Amino acid sequence: MKILVAVKQVAALDEDFEIRADGRDVEADFLLRDLNEWDDYSLEEAMRIKEAATTPVEVVVVCIGPADADEALRKCLAKGADRAIRVWDQAIEGSDPIAIAQLIAAVARREAPEMLFAGVQSSDHAFAATGIATAALLDWPHAAVVTQLSYSPGASSAVFRRELEGGLLHEMQIDCPAVLTIQLGINTPRYASLRSIKQAAAKPIEVLSLAQLGVPDAAVGESGSLSRVRRMYVPQKGRAQMIEGSSEQRAARLAQIIEAFAGGAA
Amino acid sequence: MAGPEVTRVLFEDFAPSAVRLFYAIGYSAIAVFGYGVYVQIRKYRRGAAIVGAPAGFGAGLLPRFQSMLATVLSHRTIARRDRGAGAAHRLIFYGFVLLFLGTATITLDYDLLGPLFGVHFWHGDFYLWFSLVLDVAGVQLAAGLLYMMYRRGWLRPPKLDYARPDRAPADPDYDRSGYRREDWAFLWTLLAIVATGYVLEALRLVWLAGRPSVWEQRWWSPVGALLAQLMRGAGMSETTGGQWRRDLWWFHGLLALLFIALIPFTKVKHMFTAAGSLMFRDPLAAQRLSRVPPEQKQPGVQFITDFNWKQLLNLDACTKCGRCHEACPARAAGAPLSPRDVILSLREFANRTLESAQLPPEAELDVHGKGPGQVAMETLWACRTCMACVEVCPVAIEHVPIIVQMRRKLVEDGQMDPQLRKTLQTIHKTGNSFGESRRKRAAWTKTLPFAVKDARKEPVDVLWFVGDYASFDPRNQKVSAIFAALLREAGVDYGILYEGESNAGNDVRRVGEEGLYEVLAEANIGSLASASFNTIVTTDPHSYNTIRNEYPDFGGQYPIQHYTTLLLQLMQQGRLPAVRSLGLRVTFHDPCHLGRFNKGYEAPREILRLLGCELVEMGRSRANSFCCGAGGGRIWIADPVGQDKPAHNRMREAAAIAGLQVYVVSCPKDLTMFEDALKSTGNEGRFVVKELIELVRDALNGTL
Repeated sequence: MKILVAVKQVAALDEDFEIRADGRDVEADFLLRDLNEWDDYSLEEAMRIKEAATTPVEVVVVCIGPADADEALRKCLAKGADRAIRVWDQAIEGSDPIAIAQLIAAVARREAPEMLFAGVQSSDHAFAATGIATAALLDWPHAAVVTQLSYSPGASSAVFRRELEGGLLHEMQIDCPAVLTIQLGINTPRYASLRSIKQAAAKPIEVLSLAQLGVPDAAVGESGSLSRVRRMYVPQKGRAQMIEGSSEQRAARLAQIIEAFAGGAA
Repeated sequence: MAGPEVTRVLFEDFAPSAVRLFYAIGYSAIAVFGYGVYVQIRKYRRGAAIVGAPAGFGAGLLPRFQSMLATVLSHRTIARRDRGAGAAHRLIFYGFVLLFLGTATITLDYDLLGPLFGVHFWHGDFYLWFSLVLDVAGVQLAAGLLYMMYRRGWLRPPKLDYARPDRAPADPDYDRSGYRREDWAFLWTLLAIVATGYVLEALRLVWLAGRPSVWEQRWWSPVGALLAQLMRGAGMSETTGGQWRRDLWWFHGLLALLFIALIPFTKVKHMFTAAGSLMFRDPLAAQRLSRVPPEQKQPGVQFITDFNWKQLLNLDACTKCGRCHEACPARAAGAPLSPRDVILSLREFANRTLESAQLPPEAELDVHGKGPGQVAMETLWACRTCMACVEVCPVAIEHVPIIVQMRRKLVEDGQMDPQLRKTLQTIHKTGNSFGESRRKRAAWTKTLPFAVKDARKEPVDVLWFVGDYASFDPRNQKVSAIFAALLREAGVDYGILYEGESNAGNDVRRVGEEGLYEVLAEANIGSLASASFNTIVTTDPHSYNTIRNEYPDFGGQYPIQHYTTLLLQLMQQGRLPAVRSLGLRVTFHDPCHLGRFNKGYEAPREILRLLGCELVEMGRSRANSFCCGAGGGRIWIADPVGQDKPAHNRMREAAAIAGLQVYVVSCPKDLTMFEDALKSTGNEGRFVVKELIELVRDALNGTL
């Protein structure tokens, strides 16, 4: 019995960041990396199933990303994941969520898990598409925004709940294998002590190339994506301006501004 | 000069079978004592080996023994903050020791030197002085015991009522009446042995009144002689005296032998366990915590057998004197923690599990939880690691390392307050507890009209380790700016590490997150290695403690001082001349990590004197200073709503000082905690909380 958990190393902005020269992303130096918050919850959900099971359950985490994403995978290993897989190739750069889903689906075919968990969305790009797209590519049943799950390993189906608008709950049953995207708050993720993170550094991370997954270069990256980032920018802020000085000075300055704004009309 | 006939009869008139019986009982008592000692030693040996011990821990047994002996003989630790008990214990101790030596002398003469070599010395003048000394010793012992009874029965100090803050009355291990019964049994038994000893002496004098070698020397045993006079005055005959003496002799002898046999099984064993505990005292027990050995499977303590033998010995050394219970700020604020009860719980647990012939299965050895003898996580997390308990313990019990070892296990299992968990993750991610970008660590310097050197880029004389609170907390940033200006004014060549500085890790380590502490310590040691400086100064006592005492274990050995000593030097050298006398009525709060931890009591007081302040000490000052409640990571955990806070307790103490103008602190966390407490205790407007640095600036005002 196996559960595959798709995770992402997300980026957060540091103080005083700069936009990359090509204008399509933030300069990498100004980004702080961490495991996507939602993925913390989906890994925890997998770990709870594993720990409650009477039969052996293997939890495998997969991440599409360059070498520095190993840090996120190590955190998962520290929390008890059995194996970690990272897929990377320079050609993957610039992939949209659907192209990423292709890769996760390829890993899922290779690993043949009974369950695939993903976070509802990633905190940096927030497409909320990767998990569901993976299900479509695998042609597996799927459900999004799961807030409660009961599943015993080996069972042919799982029962879960989703929160709907207006305080309604949706209780559903789903056939396995299935893809579930997990919502924050479904559990309380465990703390990975630094000691366990350090110990996880010794565990191997399997790195797969496109060739090993049998995915052609053209299927990923910008060429394999139907959407592309045109530019990333900070919108111009409002032009509020503080007028300083004595009351007379401020009044005079205000009158001046009004005059200039109204032009000759006044 | 008394002749050899002047001595004491021992077994006169005893049938040989009676003497044999007495010796048989005596040997049995010693055998029971020996078995008890064996069980105790087996218990300690079931603990873990001491790993990561400071260098020279096992070596130097002789100096350790000498230092223990000096502490025991002087009663220095027992007399602290409880002079009555100290004086009474001294009487009991010396009385008991003399009487024991007296008995040992008789054994030496009668059972060893006599039979083996035919040598006897227990007679004549020596015997007479022996008699006198022992009579006085008995009076001392009885006086001490009577005071202790008066103290327990009438004075009834609250610390001796054994009320537990960590249990509810319905809990199975709430009841402590067993301890009270044992206390009283101990006192009464000793008193009975002393009293029967005197009566016995008197009866012997009455019985042998006809022998000049006895009767004429009777006043060498003044108490016995007085009683004998009374008995004879009441008409007791020599024969009656002899008969009564024989019966009482057995009672006295059997009681004394019973006492000896029971030593290892009762509180009486503190004579040995307390001495052992004192002998293996770690003078830096709370200041420098132990590392987790890399080969250890689980960090910290989960099972009673994870404690090392020294810690198990610590548990047995406790005499329930209650000084730690009284000093603990968490207990004072109503938290479910008393250091005494942690020790007693674990002791009860160890006795139940480790004294049995077979070591119980592992499942029964887990010390975490709410069962009998277990310690609840709420209790462990209530600790501020302020060291008040360790500092005051008369028998060198080291509570803080025990609590931190147990916390290490809780941290590994994630059993902690969600806020704390988040803070630890934040510190890992950003290197500071404020969750700010590393780049912003030195942002406060941007408000200064001058530049602060980057010690990583150019050599400096003094490297200033700023610390998290002084770097990121807006109120403390103002103090940092003043300190920078003071250094500049005094012409100190100084610099900071900018984003190369991380949280020093003192409190992370005391939380029990040892892995994160290692990351922080190594990061800072790496940054310090890239800088060129002669000495370190820090405005943060917490950083001061860990850099001074703990970084050396990670290869970082630096000359470091707290800012108070540096400012004092600068003032004394005339480099920071105070231009006006402040004339304020102030009190000074000793920060735990500057005062108790590192004995930095004098410099801040001397500065206050140079500033022309009138210092009024609070009742709890210096070594007995009262924690603000922020230590041990508690600054990252909210105190329960509706419960008193240590800082409030402290503010009320300060507010009782008539005419107080300034409550002076010298620690960034203190500034935060007490400014808050000043408001919430309704003392705002009555006096102010100020950093000592701010007072120095005020005195220099014209020039800065």
